[in-house]
Amino acid sequence: MSFFDLRGTLKPLTSLKQFGKNPHTIRYPEVPVEASDRYRGFHFNEIEECIGCGNCATICMNESIDMIPVEGVEGDKGDSGLRPRIDYGRCCYCGLCVDVCPTGSLSLTKDYIHVSEDPDTFLFLPGIENPDANNRKTYISTKETSLNDWARIPMPELEGKERVKSFAEVVLGYNEEQARQEAERCISCGICTEVCPDHMHIPEYINAIASGNDEDAVRIIYDNNPLPELCGKVCTRRCEDVCAIATRGEPVAIRWLKRYATETADASDVIKDIVNPEIRERNGKKVGIIGAGPSGLTAAYYLALRGFDVTIYEANEKAGGMTMYGIPKYRLPLDSIQKQVDYIVSIGVKIHFNTKVGKDISFKEIYENNDAVFMGVGFPKAWTLGIDGEDAKGSMQAVNFLHMINSGEDVEVGNKVAVVGGGNVAIDAARVSRRLGAEVTILYRRRVQDMPADWEEIEGAEDEGVHIEPQAIPIKIHTDDKGNVKAIEYLKAEMVQSKDGGRPKPVAIEGSNTIMEVSAVMAAIGQQGDYDFIDKEYAEKIKIERGRFVVDKNQQTTLPRLFAGGDAANRTADAISAIADGLRACKAIDAMLMPSNK
Amino acid sequence: METLLEKIKDRVNANFDLKDYKIYTDLKRVDLFFNKEHIPSVLLYLKEQMGFRHLMHMSVVDWIEEGEFEIIFFLWAPKEKVKIFVKTRIDRDNPVMENMDNIWPQLNTYEREFKEMYGIEFPGLVAPEEFILESWSGPPPMRRDFETDKYAKDNFATRPGREDAQDVRETIAKRSGEDIPDFAKKYSR
Repeated sequence: MSFFDLRGTLKPLTSLKQFGKNPHTIRYPEVPVEASDRYRGFHFNEIEECIGCGNCATICMNESIDMIPVEGVEGDKGDSGLRPRIDYGRCCYCGLCVDVCPTGSLSLTKDYIHVSEDPDTFLFLPGIENPDANNRKTYISTKETSLNDWARIPMPELEGKERVKSFAEVVLGYNEEQARQEAERCISCGICTEVCPDHMHIPEYINAIASGNDEDAVRIIYDNNPLPELCGKVCTRRCEDVCAIATRGEPVAIRWLKRYATETADASDVIKDIVNPEIRERNGKKVGIIGAGPSGLTAAYYLALRGFDVTIYEANEKAGGMTMYGIPKYRLPLDSIQKQVDYIVSIGVKIHFNTKVGKDISFKEIYENNDAVFMGVGFPKAWTLGIDGEDAKGSMQAVNFLHMINSGEDVEVGNKVAVVGGGNVAIDAARVSRRLGAEVTILYRRRVQDMPADWEEIEGAEDEGVHIEPQAIPIKIHTDDKGNVKAIEYLKAEMVQSKDGGRPKPVAIEGSNTIMEVSAVMAAIGQQGDYDFIDKEYAEKIKIERGRFVVDKNQQTTLPRLFAGGDAANRTADAISAIADGLRACKAIDAMLMPSNK
Repeated sequence: METLLEKIKDRVNANFDLKDYKIYTDLKRVDLFFNKEHIPSVLLYLKEQMGFRHLMHMSVVDWIEEGEFEIIFFLWAPKEKVKIFVKTRIDRDNPVMENMDNIWPQLNTYEREFKEMYGIEFPGLVAPEEFILESWSGPPPMRRDFETDKYAKDNFATRPGREDAQDVRETIAKRSGEDIPDFAKKYSR
């Protein structure tokens, strides 16, 4: 060390660099420090966006979240009606509840100060008690940060070009690995079960698949649906519309998972082994069922399990009703239906095929010889277009066409087909015609986005080369001298917003007549009931409104002991509603005939 | 920077039985893996001979699937401005680690914490019995197999006021008249 310690002398001068800077002081009165941008403070919940799935409450390891009913929030289809309440005595602000929130409604805010001597004030309803915290959100859920899986495992399918060569099934089905992965996306909230007409136990069977117990899944499915393979392939799957994951991603493939589970049981005796149903002793009561469609088969199955002597009268050669004769085999192969019908027969249901009620056996006989009767007669008669030339050779109804094809008959459609309509029947008829080698055009009065058909079906049809001509209103079918269809004439339409706020209506444009040469025309504009089979003395007592039987909540008609279900009784006209009707009728018949079972 | 980090690694490797290493040039950091018996001499050497005078932190990771705890020492060389992470694994069923608070006195506090939170024994550690967990009777709570929920239920009373909570699945089933069979309920959420 030198005599003059220069370093020690100069060092204090470095403090001069602070000269002229603002001193670090605290303001008075004190201004609270604002929390950082990703601060995890009190919760905020967008009450309108929240669907009450309860995923936050499930994930919370401190059990600090309760789902409670909240004033002003109505439980509805797609919303449980419950909202989260946080117990800040337990919350550790980990933010997992935000990370798993499927809707993204839950977030954490910058607020962190709450002082109170009353412990009850630490129970807190986010979004309701702090509506103004909306602009102080910090820790939010984005699609990237969320822990939910948004993307569906893609379903393997045949290529469009391959499909039109045959009636081979288009959708190939998940393999085991794909099914487990897809099942794991489900958050098991159960919101889907409310919109399912049959209220199937969806989260339970998906969880069973996810945990590798396919047999349990099959058992759970058969608890209230005896035709699950049919539903697994062609269900209208309204459940997927309200799936919690669908709020920001692709819904869980509920339909395909049901299909996977049911396909693991590949024969009727395997189903019987797995489901191993408890069949009650015969109770001596007889139930007659008219029509072996989905509703009739469902009622028959569950009635037989409950010990009833069940007989089905079916006009056709095979069971399944519209699902057998209306749905093309590339969507629902014969084996799929046959396997399930065989299983239903194996537990003791009798089916008389080729027995048309009203012709081969009278309604009266069935009604008088049974303790209860269920009708699942469907809508067999197609609406006609009501235009000139409709009786020409080559002009037909699409359902009749599908019926003939599914019965194995040959139908001559020529090389150019026009299908009129926009529902699933129209798409089915168009895709079948493509497989018969014809060029196909669908004429629909409204726009493509207005078509009631499944969007997957519409896309499938386009992949297969079906041309869709929207906003086209047919006005005449032209014929040649031999009476064959030669062309169809139609008007272009423009969409006009209706004044009463309904959906836009197509209005024909004068002079926009277009003539398209075709060899066949198929009408697919809807079907109606045909109730001539009911004897007059009974028909008078059965109330029919707008072409459908009037039934109460138990599916009972105005004639005692007579129940009805399916298309002829509900307005939704799909297989799963028919199945639900059948099950409801079964329960009501059981309660009516065997009150002691209650 | 890379050559400096390489050099550090090479020098340590020349003196000790280095099991594995990893160099992060952008982070100015070297991770060194050793068997547990080498750790005291490695730490002492790094501190006294190589300028890693500052112990930034000590941490434990529970690798429950592999049956091991990982112990990590985070060191800092103020002159070179580089980090070293010294890592080792110890048996999870018999977790014993040498007490090293004679190298850095502040290790005493870390070791007390890991003794309490993970149940790791440091023979010779001189410290009061309790650290944060007063009158604790359960298993070490930071171990991954510690069931927070179960422990809380067994040991604490629940305040009244939360009885109105509803189960989402049951609420929906009740509203729509769905009958969930008993054998399916084990798959309910």
